[in-house]
Amino acid sequence: MNYLLFAPEFTLTAVAFAVLGVDLFLPRDKKGYLPALSVVGLIGVFVLSLRYLWGRDTDLYDGLFLIDNFSLFFKAFFLVLGVMVVLSSVDYVKKHLSRPGEYYGILIFSILAMMLMAASGELLTAYISLELLSFSLYVLVSYGRHGLKPSEAGVKYILLGAFASALLLYGISQVYGMLGTTRFDEIHAALLLEGTPLNPAVLVGLVLIIAGLGFKVAVVPFHMWAPDVYEGAPTPVTAYLAVGSKAAAFALILRLFSQAFMPAFDDWQIILVILAALTMTVGNLVAMAQQNIKRMLAYSSIGQVGYLLMGVAALSPLASNGVILHLVGYGGTNLLAFMCVIVFYNATNKEEIADFAGLADRSPFVAMAMSAALLSLAGLPFFAGFTTKFYLFTAAADGGLLWLVGLAITNSLISLYYYMMVMKQMYMVPADDNTPLNVSMFSCGVLGMLLAGVIIIGVYPGPLVNAIQAATKAILP
Amino acid sequence: MSLSLVVFYLLGAVCLGGAVGVVVSRNVVHSALLLLVSLMGVAGLYLLLLAEFLALVQVLIYGGAITIIVLFVIMLTRVQEFRAMKDNPQWPLAVVAALAMFVLLAAAMIKGAPSETTRQSVSFEELGSSLFTQWAVPFEVASLVLLVALIGAIVIAREGGEE
Repeated sequence: MNYLLFAPEFTLTAVAFAVLGVDLFLPRDKKGYLPALSVVGLIGVFVLSLRYLWGRDTDLYDGLFLIDNFSLFFKAFFLVLGVMVVLSSVDYVKKHLSRPGEYYGILIFSILAMMLMAASGELLTAYISLELLSFSLYVLVSYGRHGLKPSEAGVKYILLGAFASALLLYGISQVYGMLGTTRFDEIHAALLLEGTPLNPAVLVGLVLIIAGLGFKVAVVPFHMWAPDVYEGAPTPVTAYLAVGSKAAAFALILRLFSQAFMPAFDDWQIILVILAALTMTVGNLVAMAQQNIKRMLAYSSIGQVGYLLMGVAALSPLASNGVILHLVGYGGTNLLAFMCVIVFYNATNKEEIADFAGLADRSPFVAMAMSAALLSLAGLPFFAGFTTKFYLFTAAADGGLLWLVGLAITNSLISLYYYMMVMKQMYMVPADDNTPLNVSMFSCGVLGMLLAGVIIIGVYPGPLVNAIQAATKAILP
Repeated sequence: MSLSLVVFYLLGAVCLGGAVGVVVSRNVVHSALLLLVSLMGVAGLYLLLLAEFLALVQVLIYGGAITIIVLFVIMLTRVQEFRAMKDNPQWPLAVVAALAMFVLLAAAMIKGAPSETTRQSVSFEELGSSLFTQWAVPFEVASLVLLVALIGAIVIAREGGEE
């Protein structure tokens, strides 16, 4: 067995331990080296992965761990995401959180978990990786300083997360009990052998797996935890929750449904269609009523999950491309939006939508970046959101879900309304206090990078689309 | 009815009875002890399925370690505050949901009953070698999960104290 193929995971684990270890010896005023070390480590693993793994199609441990372009693409995506989250955490952690060593260390463990999720070719490996991700996130969510809201967020997230894990595990045991295997390719073969109609016991297992994963990505009706957790968690963690954990779960969902449960397509498609319709509608309608910017972004990300789920429901190579592209585009956009919230919160300690009044005067750059993020989330041209939504919606329509695409477009219009309300606050409403916003050069740089990313994906998605097509080919030839 | 089926129903009753007791009991200490009963029932089920290693681990870890820790936690926190545990007003809903889930699962299992197979015991050596070769990834990841949980517990618990 070629253990070199495992090098990115080993190295990343070493980086996480290095961050935890170095933290012990650093004096308090030198803790700034920790994020630098994390970023260097993440970029190193990124280069290593791309150099060694591109184009390989093999597996380790008898199919437990898959090395293909799909897992490599998500590895690279998660590493870049990790770098951005670390960068956006720097100022926030310095100002609002104690114990940075454990913060960055656990953050890197969670990135490792996401990489494992995208690469696992077997249900138990996927489950334990998901659990590593969940545990890391439980800790990160509870990181906030004292107060009712952080504690509520932490406790709620841990309890509901454990409940979701139990559902998922029950589903896995049901599938294993009926089909006698947990490997994706063998499940595929066993389902083909059984033929239609699907054994109800397997179907129950499948439904439980969908429910368990649905909890993790906040699909309506399993979304109740999301707004409270998003509001109470430290904002960089909220951004990470909204982008990272969702991307990882969708990577797993894409692989699971295409490589394992594809023969039962007719049985699960209808479930996903209903969930998608519910999710996008409820998410966007409730978002309109929110006063807190983090809650609003939480509901809007629930809406985005609805679109992604629609793509999975129309599963085909085209739809898979659309889902992955939207994950990347929406991820970058959401990070940009949350970065603006972080910058604003660092300067003012406020996060209500009403507080954004007059931001255009107080800091034109942040207001512009926030507007770009909101317009991209709504799906307007020149921004990432338009391109990715266009791909995703076309693919879903191509898969025969025309009415659902209609609903998705209606929802996008609804979302435009509440995004516009935030922009109205920033540009039309005068501020109570007109002091310029104190934004560090470093934060401006991070904002600029994210903004550039969102615009580049919007106007020149070609190379990204090529990479995504290569990734999809690995799971849906 | 074969003997193993009788034993199965007995053990099932022990598990279920213990679990119901955990939820219904008003005294936290009683709940913790009833949890032990339920977990021992599960260990018995493992034995019935010829999974000796699992049964052993279940007794050692759940029966020994976990229950003891729960009891310690109860003793070290102020029990007076927990004595009069109130029911969540949503409990009837929870009962309905649990029953509906049970009916659904039972119906699915009866309709799609798996074919009968004879179960063979897996030797300790076999289990150990497959755990460290083919299943090495999940096994190692589990150790990372424990590590993160450990660090996380310290971070969260120390949040209140001084730096």
